[in-house]
Amino acid sequence: MSYQDQPQTKRASLLSWLDRRYPIVSTWNEHVGEYYAPKNFNFWYFFGSLALLVLVNQFITGIWLTMSYKPSAAEAFNSIEYIMRDVEWGWLIRYMHSTGASAFFIVIYLHMMRGLLYGSYKEPRELVWILGMFLFLVLMAEAFMGYLLPWGQMSYWGAQVIISLFGAIPVIGPDLALWVRGDFVISDATLNRFFALHVIALPLVLIILVFMHIVALHKVGSNNPDGVEIKKYKNEAGLPIDGIPFHPYYSVKDSFGAVFFMIPFALIVFYWPEGGGFFLEPPNFEPANPLKTPEHIAPVWYFTPYYAILRAVPDKFLGVVAMGAAIAVLFAMPWLDRCKVKSIRYRGTSFKLLLTMFVVSFVVLGYLGTQPATPELTKLAQIFTVLYFAFFLVLPFTSVHEQTKPVPERVH
Amino acid sequence: MKKIIWILSFSATLLAMPFTTQAAGGPGIELEPAHNNLRDADSLQRGAVLFSNYCMACHSAKYIRYNRIARDIGWSDEQVIQQMAYGLNKVVDEVQTRMLPGVAMDVLGTEPPDLSLMARLKGTDYIYTFLRAYHQDENGNWDNTVLKGTSMPNVLEGIQRHASAEDYAQAARDIANFLEYVGEPAKMDRMDLGWKVIAFLLVLLLLTYVLKKEYWRDIKH
Repeated sequence: MSYQDQPQTKRASLLSWLDRRYPIVSTWNEHVGEYYAPKNFNFWYFFGSLALLVLVNQFITGIWLTMSYKPSAAEAFNSIEYIMRDVEWGWLIRYMHSTGASAFFIVIYLHMMRGLLYGSYKEPRELVWILGMFLFLVLMAEAFMGYLLPWGQMSYWGAQVIISLFGAIPVIGPDLALWVRGDFVISDATLNRFFALHVIALPLVLIILVFMHIVALHKVGSNNPDGVEIKKYKNEAGLPIDGIPFHPYYSVKDSFGAVFFMIPFALIVFYWPEGGGFFLEPPNFEPANPLKTPEHIAPVWYFTPYYAILRAVPDKFLGVVAMGAAIAVLFAMPWLDRCKVKSIRYRGTSFKLLLTMFVVSFVVLGYLGTQPATPELTKLAQIFTVLYFAFFLVLPFTSVHEQTKPVPERVH
Repeated sequence: MKKIIWILSFSATLLAMPFTTQAAGGPGIELEPAHNNLRDADSLQRGAVLFSNYCMACHSAKYIRYNRIARDIGWSDEQVIQQMAYGLNKVVDEVQTRMLPGVAMDVLGTEPPDLSLMARLKGTDYIYTFLRAYHQDENGNWDNTVLKGTSMPNVLEGIQRHASAEDYAQAARDIANFLEYVGEPAKMDRMDLGWKVIAFLLVLLLLTYVLKKEYWRDIKH
């Protein structure tokens, strides 16, 4: 035995010792080393790994914020300013967390957009989509509860508006709202339970769902911009001809994507942390005051499309139903879209028009949700609410008869 | 290469999206730009003295301590206590009003707000405009065009009457500048650090790009 072989042998024996007790090699191979992904991923395919990156950012900065934050109505606002001023690097940790929240939604919305463009929700990936939708739902709850914690005016009144929506539900509504708040108004009790849910319960659910989302994805394999299954053509070794191992190919590519993402992220953290009043709203620099309602209450930008839908419906309860339906209907996408062709590259004009209409409605509603509800703007919100839902109502009928282009046998 | 150009233009579009800054003043109020400069230490020092002389009779800035101000705007601990607290406070004290508790309610009918975060809440333009927006009607009653019916008196009246127009504007500007600093003492730190972080990320971006190119050489498209 030459001396060069010796360390390798030692390493190999440590690995085999571990592997006999824990499936370390097979797990690595199944999910990283020998997970074969299509070789034609484009720009849109960065957002999955970026979502994971932002999640890790939120976890780490969140843990450090928890070390100095005080979840009580009397101390919460002060403790945030303590973090911003007296904690070493506190301002950086806090801005990374607040910017991370907005970044999370930018990344997730683009990640979902990718799914819509390339039909990633279609058979056999329905569960990947549905688990992703649950992730989106929990993420919204996580963001909503986190937003109360700074205990500023917008934290307080935003939570007041949203929780009062539960009160619109017939019969059980008022008791339900009371149960959620733990008090007759948003109070110390509400802040404490939101803190518990924000730092323990929901992150735990998020981790489990992320795990399941990835396990489900790796079971069925990744879709790609051509929407063709790479598993159809395999070489003698039984490996997909158009697939490449995730590591090293996509691990190096995603590293590039991660750094690419971090540059605008750093620009915002260091030079534009308020995001023009969209990431940190000015009224939130005033402590919560239950006796003083702000002139204009608007949720953070990532909730504004749904908020606009809520306000567009004249009846409060039906508004709540419409807002819920706007999110719930996305769960049904795998069955609403009945076209066999996955990728937008080979789909018909009707789908392209419908999807454009949907995206425009979403963006316009998002803008309208930030504005005060004047009669003209409410009219506009009603029109775009109808267009938003029209996408889901028309799609099942047009997608059956769609004039599609021939789909290539293999990826380009 | 085509792909890179596409990605860059995509992100440029994202960044250029029309983010409108929410107006801090009420509807229909034109705010004058403060044109203050956080890098101007003289202005910050003047602003601190003005704040102490004209604002602290009623207002606090309770989230900042004297020694932090000294360290950040170029004073020694002794200087800050001399300039801002008439030698009466310790350097570790928070900047608290000299008004006794309860007096404000009796005299003004309201609690003057803490000013630590006023610049972040309303913006420096608002502070600058507000301070200069006092006017007197024919009966000699004062009011403010930015905040009608405010309980706050025209504290800068002396400067307004006896100093030049430029000096009066500069006094309001210095106070706005000092309050912007007080609103976020770490602001200069983050601006000084940010470009270094981004420069590092650009180098890392180049390295990861080359690494990706190298690994992907054997993948045929």
